[in-house]
Amino acid sequence: MREDKVGAIVINSFALLVVLGMAYQARSQDATTPYPKMAPVEQYLMERNVEIQLARSAAPDSISRSATILILGPQGYETAVQGTNGFVCMVGRAWGAAFDWDEFWNPKVKAADCLNPQAARSILPIFFLRARMVMAGRSKAEILSAVKAAFEKKQLPDLETGAMDYMMSKSAYLTDQGGHNLPHLMFYTRVKDGKDWGSGAAGAPVMSSPYWFFSPKEQPQMKGLPPILVFLVAVTNWSDGTPAGQHNE
Amino acid sequence: MRKKNIYTSAIKNLALLVVLGMVCGAMAQNAKTNYPKMAPVDQYLMADREAEIALARSAAPESIARDAEVLVLGRNGFETAVKGKNGFVCIVGRSWTSAADEDYWDPKVRVPMCVNAAAAHSYLLRITKITNLALAGRTLAQVNETMTTAIAKKEFPPMGPGSMCYMMSKQGFGGDSAPHWPSHLMFFFSDTDPAAWGANLPGSPVVGIADTSEHLTQFVIQTQRWSDGTDDLQAPPHVHP
Repeated sequence: MREDKVGAIVINSFALLVVLGMAYQARSQDATTPYPKMAPVEQYLMERNVEIQLARSAAPDSISRSATILILGPQGYETAVQGTNGFVCMVGRAWGAAFDWDEFWNPKVKAADCLNPQAARSILPIFFLRARMVMAGRSKAEILSAVKAAFEKKQLPDLETGAMDYMMSKSAYLTDQGGHNLPHLMFYTRVKDGKDWGSGAAGAPVMSSPYWFFSPKEQPQMKGLPPILVFLVAVTNWSDGTPAGQHNE
Repeated sequence: MRKKNIYTSAIKNLALLVVLGMVCGAMAQNAKTNYPKMAPVDQYLMADREAEIALARSAAPESIARDAEVLVLGRNGFETAVKGKNGFVCIVGRSWTSAADEDYWDPKVRVPMCVNAAAAHSYLLRITKITNLALAGRTLAQVNETMTTAIAKKEFPPMGPGSMCYMMSKQGFGGDSAPHWPSHLMFFFSDTDPAAWGANLPGSPVVGIADTSEHLTQFVIQTQRWSDGTDDLQAPPHVHP
């Protein structure tokens, strides 16, 4: 699909869904990469209390106030606050997303997440490994190789049914595209085809994306990785209760 | 399992009533029903077959519904009116599956839904069975007993992975207790704790109901727009403790 088609999508009612990285598959394949390499480590780090606050803002206070809070340190994610309800809130960085995302090294991305217990048990260990590798200065290829090796050795768990993630922070920065943000829920599934949920159909409030690579051309690199399809469902409010459409653009 | 189970549980939790924009006063558990017995079967049917097909399809955006299988209600249960090709199945639910308990026999209830393939092979089987029982004159108590027993005997499969449905129709009627649902999606799981999704908490966009007797958990997430693309201007979900 051409950029002008993407533009047409962006101005329709589901523009923000498209800009949240889900549009990659629709972009022209020869687009230049705005972030070709890792930024200095410091650019990915945040002031501790700011990061805790941003992490908590991913979900309504009723959920995040009892959640474990992780912050990114020089060696990877570490626990800042021990929670009691099984949810884990953190600020994801761009390198936690698909390996072929053209913003993979974008240091501006600060994606607040609160993962439910199923996702905390099955998705978070992947985040941890990737973060450790990134903070150690490893390349994208090295990270990918390490993740595959970990799965092969069964050091990473299988995806749990019902794994989901709150991303309702008004203060998050998810992408350089569009309005940069959108309150939504994410669902990590083993569903084979996004169309099974009506993903991407005109007017549907559901979008989907493969977890590891956006582009079908990258499927050979999927060998050794468990297929995970991520669904995104837009919600009507930010975590603070204000209606969607009012954000920090 | 059924929408009415959501209502039943909702009665015990005012938060759910608020989140779904319902009228709490109409939902008292011992509320007197205006529909104490089954109406003549014809009143549950739609004489205009094309109108029923159109109403069923209105549950999902046209891009999904146009290729969906469509079932319409006949005297002996749901029957295929349109063959589909995308795995989705659209129906117009009636009172016994899609309204509050006190509206169990309300012949005016019409609730469109489009289930995906996974739900068609699990959730929808229960809907069609209940419909058959109700059309045969079974009361709510009899249906509940039959379904609970059948599920315990594993006569129905558990919810398939990824089971969900669209309920984004601007049309339809949910019964006197809750005439109009907001536009929403539903997700179906077997034996899942609603707390695992942060459901029913203040500010959460997720409503969850677990029916342990039927081993079914339903999650409801409100959407911003109706299936026709217009804004759903009903109050956004906000759960009060």
